[in-house]
Amino acid sequence: MCGIIGYVGYRNARDIVLEGLKKLEYRGYDSAGIALIKNGLFLFKEVGEIKNLENEVPEISSNIGIGHTRWATHGGVNKKNAHPHVDCKGKIAIVHNGIIENFKKLREELEIKGHKFTSDTDTEVIAHLIEENYDGDIRKAVQNAIKKLKGSYAIVVITENEPAVIIGARKESPLVIGIGENENFIASDIPAFLKYTNKVKYMEDGEICEVGRNEVKIFDLDGNEVSREEKIVEWSIEEAEKGGFPHYMLKEIYEQPKSLMETMRGRIGEIEPFVDLGIGLEDIDELTLVACGTSYYAAMAGKYILEEIAGISCNVELSSEYRYFGKRKGIVLAVTQSGETADTLAALREAKRHGCETIVITNVIGSSATRIADKTILTRAGPEIGVAATKTFTTQVLTFILLALELGIKKERLSHSQAREYIASLKKLPMAVKEVLDKGEEIEKLAKMLQDNESIFFIGRGINYPVALEGALKLKEISYVHAEGFAAGELKHGPFALLTSDTPVIAIVSQDKTHEKMLGNIGEIKARNSPVIAVADENDKEIAKFADYIVRYPSLPPFVASIPITVILQLLAYHVARLKGRPIDKPRNLAKSVTVE
Amino acid sequence: MVGEAVILAAGEGSRLRPFTEDIPKVMLPVANKPILEYVINAIRDSGIRKIIMIVGYKKESVMDYFGSGSRCGVEIEYVTQEKQLGTGHALFQARELVKGEEFIVLPGDNIIDKDVILKLMNSPTPALVVEESDIPSKYGVVEIDGDIIKNLIEKPPVARTNIVSTGIYKFDKRVFELLDELLKEGRTSLIDAILQFVQEGILYGVKGNGKWRDAVYPWDLLKMNEESLNKVPATISGKIEENVIIKGKVSIGENTIVHSGSYLVGPITIGEGCEIGPHACIFPSTSIGNNVTIYPFSEIRDSLIMDNSTIGSFSYISKSVIGRGTKISDHFSTLVRDSIIEIEGEIKKVKGAGAFIGGECNIESGVVIKGGAIIGKRAHISSNKVLSGRIENDSKVV
Repeated sequence: MCGIIGYVGYRNARDIVLEGLKKLEYRGYDSAGIALIKNGLFLFKEVGEIKNLENEVPEISSNIGIGHTRWATHGGVNKKNAHPHVDCKGKIAIVHNGIIENFKKLREELEIKGHKFTSDTDTEVIAHLIEENYDGDIRKAVQNAIKKLKGSYAIVVITENEPAVIIGARKESPLVIGIGENENFIASDIPAFLKYTNKVKYMEDGEICEVGRNEVKIFDLDGNEVSREEKIVEWSIEEAEKGGFPHYMLKEIYEQPKSLMETMRGRIGEIEPFVDLGIGLEDIDELTLVACGTSYYAAMAGKYILEEIAGISCNVELSSEYRYFGKRKGIVLAVTQSGETADTLAALREAKRHGCETIVITNVIGSSATRIADKTILTRAGPEIGVAATKTFTTQVLTFILLALELGIKKERLSHSQAREYIASLKKLPMAVKEVLDKGEEIEKLAKMLQDNESIFFIGRGINYPVALEGALKLKEISYVHAEGFAAGELKHGPFALLTSDTPVIAIVSQDKTHEKMLGNIGEIKARNSPVIAVADENDKEIAKFADYIVRYPSLPPFVASIPITVILQLLAYHVARLKGRPIDKPRNLAKSVTVE
Repeated sequence: MVGEAVILAAGEGSRLRPFTEDIPKVMLPVANKPILEYVINAIRDSGIRKIIMIVGYKKESVMDYFGSGSRCGVEIEYVTQEKQLGTGHALFQARELVKGEEFIVLPGDNIIDKDVILKLMNSPTPALVVEESDIPSKYGVVEIDGDIIKNLIEKPPVARTNIVSTGIYKFDKRVFELLDELLKEGRTSLIDAILQFVQEGILYGVKGNGKWRDAVYPWDLLKMNEESLNKVPATISGKIEENVIIKGKVSIGENTIVHSGSYLVGPITIGEGCEIGPHACIFPSTSIGNNVTIYPFSEIRDSLIMDNSTIGSFSYISKSVIGRGTKISDHFSTLVRDSIIEIEGEIKKVKGAGAFIGGECNIESGVVIKGGAIIGKRAHISSNKVLSGRIENDSKVV
């Protein structure tokens, strides 16, 4: 998992590449490097944030350059393993995102031929392979080199021998070309160059591109030129900047009323009523849901929603498991924010290979997942920079509610008036989230109470079980506090042994059929002297007798309420992390979208 | 050359409650844009691209909407005034961020014309924009001799002239030194610094062009809305079904559905993602926000309906402001009449007032609201009630 960028044009490549790397830092940030051509190839690398690199790179006025921000997969975090990597003569520089599976074998072969390696990375073999194949045409050399590679890659190459072109190639790792005027860009992700252009061309697996200042050509693996349509990206730069908020995460938490409105835009009508996700859904009885991380929790929530509202039995699988195990039948629905999550892409391909119909719920139009899957539902959350998923999770859950409603109405499982009530409550959702956001101070107070606890548990029943898991994940990933989510009924089957007066339990309480049982669970926890913080419906009067601290959420139908509840837990995680002084937007050891398996 | 503007956007605007319960006054929508957006656009059109925004009360709503400023083509830096201690204290927060020698200062809640800003930019420093007002005693009343302001009295019981301060200034960095001294004495209002300039006889008065607008009370929003609507270009997006009549300047946002038989007469603006009709009538000087649902057979005129609200069928709404996320059931009506309204101890006469209903209210079927009534945020009104006067936030009327 890494971020790469290349620039060729009339501006100062040093500045463009460094700026682009900062926008890509969310993809990984243990070390970074840059290569520039100015009467020869110049190479600079540093460990740590892009800032460290920026301080080391002298003002070279070059018009072509490539850069890389690394998240180590092969070889330790140090200067020599940082990209770009070069060939023996130091004339060809390459940056790479992905994993070369057969690099050991290739390296041995190249070493026998006399190539000298200076790093422990899989990437360096590509540089030497290109050198081995180079006879004056860098594109041909790359084309022949990548034929030997097994694994996944997005690579960008420059050479001082041909100082006017950048060569790119991709297979199973993201790479997108930005089309400017008298300048062009290539990068792992659009925000890297969005300041300069919103016109892009996406590359397909197995393609190679040749990017010059005035020209972009794309070729297939055999060297035949292919034509590719230009697309306009509708994100504005503003959407990719912090705008006054201290962290991207907080900005993104506060954006949720807007993102949720965006998810529903044009897809629901209260008066008629209707729900239409616009992908021509048929009658579905069974679904396999595959996802990783936060998206997996959204899929678990999706299971409760689809089963209850639309009567669809769901089987939820982790992508990393499903690609090797599990039933390949029927319809497979994948959930991936970036559309580039390697394990989920593999699971989708696997499902497709066995003839399954595939649907993807994703936030990124044109991403790899949308090109693999038969049907795409966009969550429309807008770009998310903070590593901890916030608005992308809540819009995924909302998308599941829309999906369930559309199918529930189609299957006539929902009456007209039930459907209308649901849709009316969805229209209230952005305001309900806003109301919860206004509780910032109350939640900050709670965070102060909890900041010194070493371990915090989250419990819930029904859809609030995956919400508890997500709440725990948010807390642990950004505050580094040990946090676990449990189905409330499962506590007594083991985790009870961990409860002490120093392990607060955050209990999500719904006013539905689980209410009484949940109060019972809280009673059991209180009996072990653990402090209980309840996240409860504003109309829940009984809870006051049971909990030590209560945060209220606006009364909404159970599935819809799970969204403001999640927002409360996001704010809690944020404030605990802030009080502990954690680097909230860039937690240690984590990267935004995991494009390695 | 003036290249920076400081906007004071930290205050609540308490006389506009209940509408400022969840958003600051600067973010109240007028013709579907926050008041602050008009201010920023005027600044931009006068050539200033760098804005230092002092935020405080509900600052996230300002930051979330404007972000780094690219929506309006400006660069915005935010400074938080933690406690709303006064305008002098607010401006003082910007001292580290102002880079140029001279800059302008504006309240974020008054609509202003770009020509006046240009005039101010080219005047000597310090300077204050003044305007004529029908209600001068609501403002700082100014006595002016030639171009120099001779006297300024804040909200006098009896005004000696009808010239008032707009709170729009041009300063140089000396104002920060003055404020520093005043703040040490516990004087937090910007007026104290201004009076110092008046005393020294160096404060220039720049006459405005009559396009300055302030909303002090809820009904002022309707006037501001009416005037701003005339400037909204007619653009129709969304889905307009057959047999919808559209006349005059009508703007309809994306993903809005207007169902058959509806009758729309401009100037009106309707936001994104709304559902209107069938057979709904919307008449001039009405703004309808985003995600608003208007059920069949309802009539709305001269009103401001904010985001996410719902109007039930067979309703009549006129001269009214409806807050965000309020749900109004069927057979609702507003009785427009001349009213006497008390706000923060002041008695105000209002001609032709409808209802002023805060956000997130739930109003059941058949409710009638008499003109001039102010209904607090999140009030719950049971069916068939006839209400007037003031209903507090979170009330339940049964």
